[in-house]
Amino acid sequence: MKRIVVPGEMVDDKPLHLLDAFIEENKTYATVISVYDDEKKMLTPLEGLWYPRKEEVVVGVIEEAKLNTYTVQLNAPYKGIIISKYTESAMNTGDMIEASVKELDKTGTVVLSRPRVLNGGKLLKIRPAKVHRLIGKSNTMLNQISQGTGTTMKVGMNGVVWIRGGDIDLASEAVFRVQEEAHVSGLTERINKMVGSPVQVQK
Amino acid sequence: MKNTGIKLLENGRRLDGRSPKDMRSIKIIPNPIKNAGGSAYMEWGKNKVVAAVYGPSEALPRHTANPDKAVIKCRYMMAPFSSEEGHGRVGMNRRAIEISKVTAEVFENVVILDQFPGTEINIYVEVLQSDGGTRAAGITCAAVAMALSGIPMKDLPYAISVGKVGEDIILDLDKIEDNYSDADMPVAILPRTDSVALLQMDGTMSKTQFDTAMQMVLDAGKIISKLQKDALMSQYTEQGKKYG
Repeated sequence: MKRIVVPGEMVDDKPLHLLDAFIEENKTYATVISVYDDEKKMLTPLEGLWYPRKEEVVVGVIEEAKLNTYTVQLNAPYKGIIISKYTESAMNTGDMIEASVKELDKTGTVVLSRPRVLNGGKLLKIRPAKVHRLIGKSNTMLNQISQGTGTTMKVGMNGVVWIRGGDIDLASEAVFRVQEEAHVSGLTERINKMVGSPVQVQK
Repeated sequence: MKNTGIKLLENGRRLDGRSPKDMRSIKIIPNPIKNAGGSAYMEWGKNKVVAAVYGPSEALPRHTANPDKAVIKCRYMMAPFSSEEGHGRVGMNRRAIEISKVTAEVFENVVILDQFPGTEINIYVEVLQSDGGTRAAGITCAAVAMALSGIPMKDLPYAISVGKVGEDIILDLDKIEDNYSDADMPVAILPRTDSVALLQMDGTMSKTQFDTAMQMVLDAGKIISKLQKDALMSQYTEQGKKYG
């Protein structure tokens, strides 16, 4: 049985080590609005912020090019930095980039590696909790939107989406629709109807 | 009574026809402001309040940052047109600064601050129309906005005011009662543990009166908490209804 829990609401009367929950007096309470599945003991957040993890792909904008580092804006409380020594080519302020998280600094800075400049296109911001739904199981949702609209898309785990070419307006509309209806079942069919391409399930 | 000309309680009925234990009607709309991390609009009787939460983001100016945890900054403002008296035409007055401080302190107790060291979380509470008890409305509304922004919280606080007319305790004071009652006391409660996060009092109360007042707050809190929860859930259930 699935139910929606709000912050401070009891999830389970046993202590469970869940990601968006805390334990007090041997009981588990939610910290963000989430869906709790009693049988699977699974807590899926409906809202949430982005916590950087190693090897995650992020999309951001170069904010400042210093002598030996670049600072990157990541739509998060944390700033990203790239050490120039490890970049293949020079980047400029305002460049959109895709990079992966190398390590986390204690001061809250995210060290990025393998940056790639994304030429042209535009950026969209979505809520980080909905990124997984936008990508879908083995990239189904993302492939469907990009194939249906003929666009190239990159999704950062920090909630920034880059889109280029094709029908950008339709693609961004689809992205925002995924964000709004992420928790409602049958979303894949609705998006399919919207962007009009057959679902290619990879087995 | 301070003002003998106004009878706030007559035959067990208040000026607006409520009984001492009655609360005004509450309506909460989630996420009216799309640019904010989370926001809420609330109508509490004649009060109209908007709250928006931004952040966590880099704390600026830098000297306000705490390297161990996030800092909560709150700005409570009454719109110049919100009441009959003038409000906020020249920025924050003494009262606004005080309410901003106590609101921020309520949320310092519930938000898990040590997850975001060196950052700030901004709460903006704007009162569009006021009729007494706006700080309580502001806290209740900001709690919904905070939950919608996805910032981890240990509880969903609510606030309400209680007061005293003669020897009777009344719940949820409006503007006239606020001005002319013998005591008024806004209380913010963290419902999970029923602990007090804010308690301010104007006037005096005996111990038994205080106990009665607190019991009334806790009883009313069950209704407010449910309304907050319903507002949070409506965000998701309505989308579900649209497609069956």
